[in-house]
Amino acid sequence: MKPIFFLLLTCICSTALVAQDELSSLFNDSEAEQKRLPVIATFKSPWIINGQSNETIHKNDLLFVVKHRFGDLAGSNGGVKTFFGLDNSTDILIGFDYGLSDQWSIGLGRAKGAPNGISTHQRQLFYVNSKYRLIQQTFGDQVPVSVSLFGNAVVSTMEKTDLATSDASFQKFGDRMSYVAQAIITRKFSDKLSLALSPTYVRRNYVSFHDMNNLFALGIGSRMKFSRRMALVVDYVFSFRSQESQDYFLEQQEFKFYNPLGIGLEIETGGHVFNLSFTNSTAILENQFIPGTSSSWADGEFRWGFSITRTFTLKD
Amino acid sequence: MKFVWTTALLFATSLLIQAQVLTSHEVTLSFFSDAPLEDISAESKAGVSALDLHSKSIYFKVAIRSFEFRKSLMQEHFNENYMESHQYPHAEFKGQLTSEIDFSTAGTYPASVEGELTIHNVTKSYQVSGELQVTKEEIAIQATFPVKLVDHEIKIPRLLIKNIAEVVEVSVAAKYQTNSE
Repeated sequence: MKPIFFLLLTCICSTALVAQDELSSLFNDSEAEQKRLPVIATFKSPWIINGQSNETIHKNDLLFVVKHRFGDLAGSNGGVKTFFGLDNSTDILIGFDYGLSDQWSIGLGRAKGAPNGISTHQRQLFYVNSKYRLIQQTFGDQVPVSVSLFGNAVVSTMEKTDLATSDASFQKFGDRMSYVAQAIITRKFSDKLSLALSPTYVRRNYVSFHDMNNLFALGIGSRMKFSRRMALVVDYVFSFRSQESQDYFLEQQEFKFYNPLGIGLEIETGGHVFNLSFTNSTAILENQFIPGTSSSWADGEFRWGFSITRTFTLKD
Repeated sequence: MKFVWTTALLFATSLLIQAQVLTSHEVTLSFFSDAPLEDISAESKAGVSALDLHSKSIYFKVAIRSFEFRKSLMQEHFNENYMESHQYPHAEFKGQLTSEIDFSTAGTYPASVEGELTIHNVTKSYQVSGELQVTKEEIAIQATFPVKLVDHEIKIPRLLIKNIAEVVEVSVAAKYQTNSE
């Protein structure tokens, strides 16, 4: 008797379905499909302010980028006499990034270089970089975070200096090289808030006396969207410099290291992203601003910086 | 024994009625925006549809994320800034065929449909004319109709008014297999 009852129930249900005219219920499984989709636009550009974001360039897109850091806005080198730093430029970067695939992009470019003059002296920097999207967060949180890997190699093409304790008194070609390796772990908590955490390793083949060849650092970053096209972005890097090295520079050179902090406004207009930001770091490349930032927000030694990017789609 | 027979008959009848509902995963949706500065088009082949031959009601559903653009940056902007697909993941149409169509006779029929289209979580009534083709193996339908972006509260910034048309042309085509056995 039981199977008959069950059969009858099936009949009633199936007729009910048609009678109800609810054709939409035939496709309820598409909700689950939606949850498996990767989260997009955790950040709007490949970097936050100073540090990298998890984002890469779309396949076959070429990104032309100009980044600029002006002089100190306030403090002894700023104020009205330098028009709040706009008379000076501490660092300028011009480069290209290209998307080999939606997961993997490569870049090259040149930066003026912004050494602090005490622990770092290298200028005239050429770089190549590579970023690979390893994991992408999904809507349904089956994958809770996105992870991208970033690496670069930088060569200083300046003439070697005579000062033996300087990192620019190159002995051989390898001394001109420095490298960064980084994992960028991000999570988009909502369409308004994204966070990033970036364990970083900076390798400089040749450093000043008592500076560190191998330096570990941890970057944190965030994007808070407050309107459809505008977002507040913040990033900060803790660098794990040894106490011994800090003490040496403080006692012998009266020189203090600071961690770079950037705060900015990100404005998106179609193919452009304007990044209007303030940061205490003078340099643009990780290889310099992580180990060598010596200017302090508290002393007014922060500056206006901007990035302008333009995306060209090379192949449809 | 009689009871069993009745049940079986009932079941057969319900199957028959069920067979009146055709479903399709062969749904192509596309749209075209013709603006002074650029033409933008996108297409999705991931739509689904159902057609009830008995009640002549028709249903379409498509995931916003499944629309593919020539430029992937456009696709990102489409999802993030305009359609807000993280909040409103699907577009949906529930309608009713209003013209006389003999589904059992092969031929091409002009078809008009009245119904409610939901895009960007805003539902609006539409009346769409298209074409319906009945063959031995399948029923194919296709239609093109204009969608005004403001009707669905899709905002275009003033700066991009020359890049994005205020009215986009939406095309839909679906094929339903009738001899699914």
